[in-house]
Amino acid sequence: MADLAASGPVPPVRSAGPVSASTVAASTFAASTVVARLTAKKAARSGALWGYFFGVCVASSALTYLSSYKTAAAREKLAANFGANTAVAALFGPAHELQTVAGFTAFKVLGFLSIVGAVWGLLAATRLLRGEEDAGRWELVLCGQTTRRGAAAQALLGLGSGLVALFIVTALVTVLTGRLSKVHFGIGGSVFFALALVCSAAVFLAVGALTSQLAATRRQAAAYAAYVLGACYALRMVADSGIGLDGLRWATPLGWVELLQPLTAPDWVPLLPSAVLVAALALGTVQLAGPRDVGTSTFPDHPTAPGRTRLLNGPAGLAGRLMRPSVAAWAVALAATALIFGRIAKPAGAAISGSSIGTVLSRLGAHGVGVRAYLGVAFLIMAIMLGFVAANQVTAARGEEASGRLEHLLVLPLSRWSWLRGRVLEAVTVLVVGGLGVGAFTWLGAASGHAGLPFATLVNAGLNIVPPALFVLGTGIFVSGTWPRATSVAVYGVISWSVLVTVIGGFADNSHWLLDTSLFHQMAAAPASAPNWASGGIMVAIGAVAAIVGGFTFQHRDLVGE
Amino acid sequence: MATTAVRTEHLTKRYGAVDALKDLNLEIAKGEVVGYLGPNGAGKTTTVRLLLGLARPTAGRAQIFGLDCQRQPVAVHERLAYVPGEASLWPSLTGAETLHLLGRVHGGVDTAYRDDLIMRFDLDPSMKVRAYSRGNRQKILVIAALMSRADLLVLDEPTSGLDPLMEQEFRGCIDEARERGQTVLLSSHILSEVEALCDRVAILREGVLVEMGTMVELRHLSALSVEATFDGPVPDISGIEGVSAVETIGRVVRCQVRGTIEPLLRVLATSGVNQLISREPSLEELFLEHYGRPTAPDEPTAPNEEVAKVG
Repeated sequence: MADLAASGPVPPVRSAGPVSASTVAASTFAASTVVARLTAKKAARSGALWGYFFGVCVASSALTYLSSYKTAAAREKLAANFGANTAVAALFGPAHELQTVAGFTAFKVLGFLSIVGAVWGLLAATRLLRGEEDAGRWELVLCGQTTRRGAAAQALLGLGSGLVALFIVTALVTVLTGRLSKVHFGIGGSVFFALALVCSAAVFLAVGALTSQLAATRRQAAAYAAYVLGACYALRMVADSGIGLDGLRWATPLGWVELLQPLTAPDWVPLLPSAVLVAALALGTVQLAGPRDVGTSTFPDHPTAPGRTRLLNGPAGLAGRLMRPSVAAWAVALAATALIFGRIAKPAGAAISGSSIGTVLSRLGAHGVGVRAYLGVAFLIMAIMLGFVAANQVTAARGEEASGRLEHLLVLPLSRWSWLRGRVLEAVTVLVVGGLGVGAFTWLGAASGHAGLPFATLVNAGLNIVPPALFVLGTGIFVSGTWPRATSVAVYGVISWSVLVTVIGGFADNSHWLLDTSLFHQMAAAPASAPNWASGGIMVAIGAVAAIVGGFTFQHRDLVGE
Repeated sequence: MATTAVRTEHLTKRYGAVDALKDLNLEIAKGEVVGYLGPNGAGKTTTVRLLLGLARPTAGRAQIFGLDCQRQPVAVHERLAYVPGEASLWPSLTGAETLHLLGRVHGGVDTAYRDDLIMRFDLDPSMKVRAYSRGNRQKILVIAALMSRADLLVLDEPTSGLDPLMEQEFRGCIDEARERGQTVLLSSHILSEVEALCDRVAILREGVLVEMGTMVELRHLSALSVEATFDGPVPDISGIEGVSAVETIGRVVRCQVRGTIEPLLRVLATSGVNQLISREPSLEELFLEHYGRPTAPDEPTAPNEEVAKVG
């Protein structure tokens, strides 16, 4: 009552006149599609933004190729080096017709953007389905003119709008790029290329939607979907590693994307399994949404558990306990990747030896030959993965503040410094152990494949990938302390930018100023070259200073929610 | 030894162009139970966040037991416990694990008392937080605050989501806390709860403290509700000194009287009054008087000037 009183006079009620049938119909339609429209609004905005990014990647790759490989001879040389190289195929996907701007562009961005699109899809789906449910907003919409299945179907439609936005913007920029006289993709080719680029996003939107029905929380749903993505990536890598398992491409959505061969030898057939899988997953999502209680999971989720208080004696222990599932998932992903890279290092290195591919790998920083050059690039990929682990640590810490849970600790006799210190120590431990583990598992794989590399060399190479991750951690803490709501964008932005610059730099002669903005360019490509501890030390020092400044600003600002 | 538990001096918090809290001067003695009232957005939670050091003041300062809330937050937090109105806890932890964690970080928890509170609030500590109802999540925070036996309890809508039985249990716990000499700052919209528990009440409006005092003091400042039933015709009492809000229904007249009731009694005595009921205002009426009564669409709202005069 008091709230009403304080809110001032109630606005006058409009006089009730006759209501037309069309008005009633429009109102009913609006009420029964509210979930679809709300989801579409959020998904389309995000889809359009990422579509722009996809388009820029396509355009920059095409233009880079034109400026870097001006002569037919240079292009033929590139194609000869990469065309049948299994090691490169395992890392980046197969390369077709590299003597053309179309072939190069498809090779350059298809594999990379397929992963980005898949991650976007699974995060968007779990956020807009399970995230809404976790926040309690799903209950509100289910009180309206819809059912659980109806709401899930509407949300899928909304997510579809996001996908359409991603496709339209990607296609638009690709068509515009393709119209440049020296590029000349053709409208049909450009549209098909855009379709191939968003194919994995469609599949993983559907995967995320399904795991949102299976898991008990959004975090869990995203983790399940990420496991699926990891498995798909591993299958794709094995299929492309030239060990006679090419057929495995048909077993993974990332392989279907490759089989589309946009811009070079377009084939519509591999779209069929993608479409069938998306339809099946969407149907499964709608079916599972029906019998499930709101807020619960399809997989049995035990509502009770015996108390495990061993770690719960302070903020560091709490962080360890909360981060355990995601750290374990990353550990498995890194270990599996390291094992695979190690295992195929010898044949892949042999393929590099004697070819001039070393020139290109050296642009990626991998100065050396054979196994070492190949592993130099492999460790670069694992450095990117470790960077994501660091970003995950920072966003999880920020998530504690944004959700309001941090307040429960900071109203106890615990300073902000102590809390932050606990989180940072935990993250640093995870990253250092992660780096060492990557080295050890790569050695294990390499030893099983008789690659003949010493343990110490690969452990050093593992340690070498830690400084960029620590830099990401430090800058993340800085942004979290200064502009907390920008934390996620900042850390993932730093990594994405660095990856983009490094990959482009690997295939073109770019300005050193540009290359120097990439974290991974600052890192020596061990074991292809000796670790540059000085450069690593500078990255760690900058990260440490950034973290201290971030900690100081965090100490002196208000806690900020979502 | 300081006898003041909470002191704020010119405490101000501004968010951009919005004054969330303006020049708050508040003093709460040790052992007092103080109710902190105000409509949504009045600045109650802002005050609490400033006292807890979760937000930085734009101007002024706050002290708890003589310790500066901004400069010595850890020392301050050793002596207080806090219950927020919204229980966003770690969903994967169980109730027992959450209480263990919060107890270990606070320190000095009486585990026997904690177990007693778990029983009294009928909480199943083996359940995961995500499986709890909203009320049960709130119980965890209430138990966590009470089990510390902190010198100061800062409670911001502590019973939101609790059922009436648990609310009663909570009142019992606050009474016990008062007996133990603990100080309580209770921000609540449940006015009957504040009226039953609090020694003093502070009323906040648009970031400004408009009233503070005991219930007796506040009632003294406010109008008396009078209802008279007549045998015969109802006299016109609207012009009588101190009488306002006259409402006539048949032979019953209701009105508010400020100051002395004597002029009204003189008129009633000569008008054949059959029954006379006078009643001190409840906290709800006092509260509504500060914020204006809820109005029907065609009824004008209480003028702000009148509210300002009261404050």
